[in-house]
Amino acid sequence: MMCVIKAENITKVFGDLEVLKNVSLEVDRGEVISIIGPSGSGKSTFLRCLQQLEEIDGGKIKIDDKKLGMIFQNLNLFPHKTVIENISEAPIIVNKMNREKAVKRGEELLKKVGLLDKKDDYPCDISGGQKQRVAIARALAMEPEILLFDEPTSALDPELVGEVLSVIKELAKDHMTMIIVTHEMAFAREVSDYIVFMDEGKIIEKAIPNKMFTNPDHPRIKVFLDKML
Amino acid sequence: MSYILNITGFILKGSIVTLKLYAVAIVFSIPLGIVGALGKTSNKKWLKNILEIYIWIIRGTPLLLQLFFVYFGLPVFGIKLGRFQAAAITFIINYGAYFTEIFRAGIESVDKGQYEAAKALGMNYKQTMRRIILPQAIKRVLPPTSNEAITLMKDTALVAAISMGDILRAAKEVLTRDFNVTPFIIAAIIYLLLTSVVVLVFKQLEKKYAIYE
Ligand SMILES: Nc1ncnc2c1ncn2[C@@H]1O[C@H](COP(=O)(O)OP(=O)(O)O)[C@@H](O)[C@H]1O
Ligand SMILES: [Mg+2]
Repeated sequence: MMCVIKAENITKVFGDLEVLKNVSLEVDRGEVISIIGPSGSGKSTFLRCLQQLEEIDGGKIKIDDKKLGMIFQNLNLFPHKTVIENISEAPIIVNKMNREKAVKRGEELLKKVGLLDKKDDYPCDISGGQKQRVAIARALAMEPEILLFDEPTSALDPELVGEVLSVIKELAKDHMTMIIVTHEMAFAREVSDYIVFMDEGKIIEKAIPNKMFTNPDHPRIKVFLDKML
Repeated sequence: MSYILNITGFILKGSIVTLKLYAVAIVFSIPLGIVGALGKTSNKKWLKNILEIYIWIIRGTPLLLQLFFVYFGLPVFGIKLGRFQAAAITFIINYGAYFTEIFRAGIESVDKGQYEAAKALGMNYKQTMRRIILPQAIKRVLPPTSNEAITLMKDTALVAAISMGDILRAAKEVLTRDFNVTPFIIAAIIYLLLTSVVVLVFKQLEKKYAIYE
């Protein structure tokens, strides 16, 4: 297996607050890793450091950043662009792909996430779950080898969660390398190769799902999971 | 009746000067405002400081004083400008400052997440500003920009003070000659028509940008 992400002893400080404390994580190609843990434990910050949206204060990150795509917690779709424009914009202006080809590929991606009929709508005119799927298609359009998801379903009404999770499951089947921050425990258990538990800026355990959910080493994790389930 | 047509024709000739000045001022002050706003939202401290001083001076002093300074004052330093040049430069610099502030606020009102999404998709600063941030900022600054554009139309009347034959000056000439207020009423109507066109143009733009959110 080839290691595609190698984060070594990452530290991140906001003012006086040490948000990440020596966080290390290795991810192999094709692996799906879910990060769980209480809110405020540094999960988003860790993803943002991997994506280089935050400068790290210590440690090393080894990734080819061109291969990295991110789906944000609040999506950040471009409100002034239609669904298809959201998806084709970066391939056209960053990769200099010709417009026709970019649109055609965008339509294929929309088909994949089941939204081809919404291609000319603006983000404000589609539902939360549809927005989430557009955000995934937009990231996929840059042909990333690794996708980072920050709580992809946390903003959704319960009945919309399923449609988004099934898209992510499809990606897992295609062996997309993914790091997913999530509170959907059943989903994490089903889709992940490993579960990482973060607490107070540290990874306190990394284990296969079965172990994490039935017999974690840390009592702290047991308490958290009992509350979640 | 023929008297009214006659003086209307005369005052309309003045409106050519007004419109020429207006066009030049708009065409240059808006880009100046965009560049200024990009400077003010950049992370270059020295550039921000220079712009800060520029805006402080321009906003804190009368436009008429600035016009007098450029037309009557600069010759003292050996810079002699024609009336139109002096007026155009003054209006561009003056309105550039106001537009800088308006556009800066517009750029800053765009959510930080938009920059991050653009960055995560591999866009550089220029691509992000051009394709993602500025188009969203434009929508938000249309109402205040429209206000400024209307005010500029009326402010052009200040050039009468350096003896330029604009609408106001033409009207005043007729009044001095014939001693009745009709020319002022005609001038008022012309200004109203011109500002109404500006309002209409911006209404159309706002409609165009209303398709999202
Ligand atoms: N830009 C920031 N400035 C200051 N503090 C921040 C910033 N971003 C996050 N934090 C703080 O860092 C901690 C971890 O946040 P976050 O990574 O969002 O946690 P999680 O995603 O696990 O809920 C929190 O205490 C949060 O308030
Ligand atoms: Mg978070």
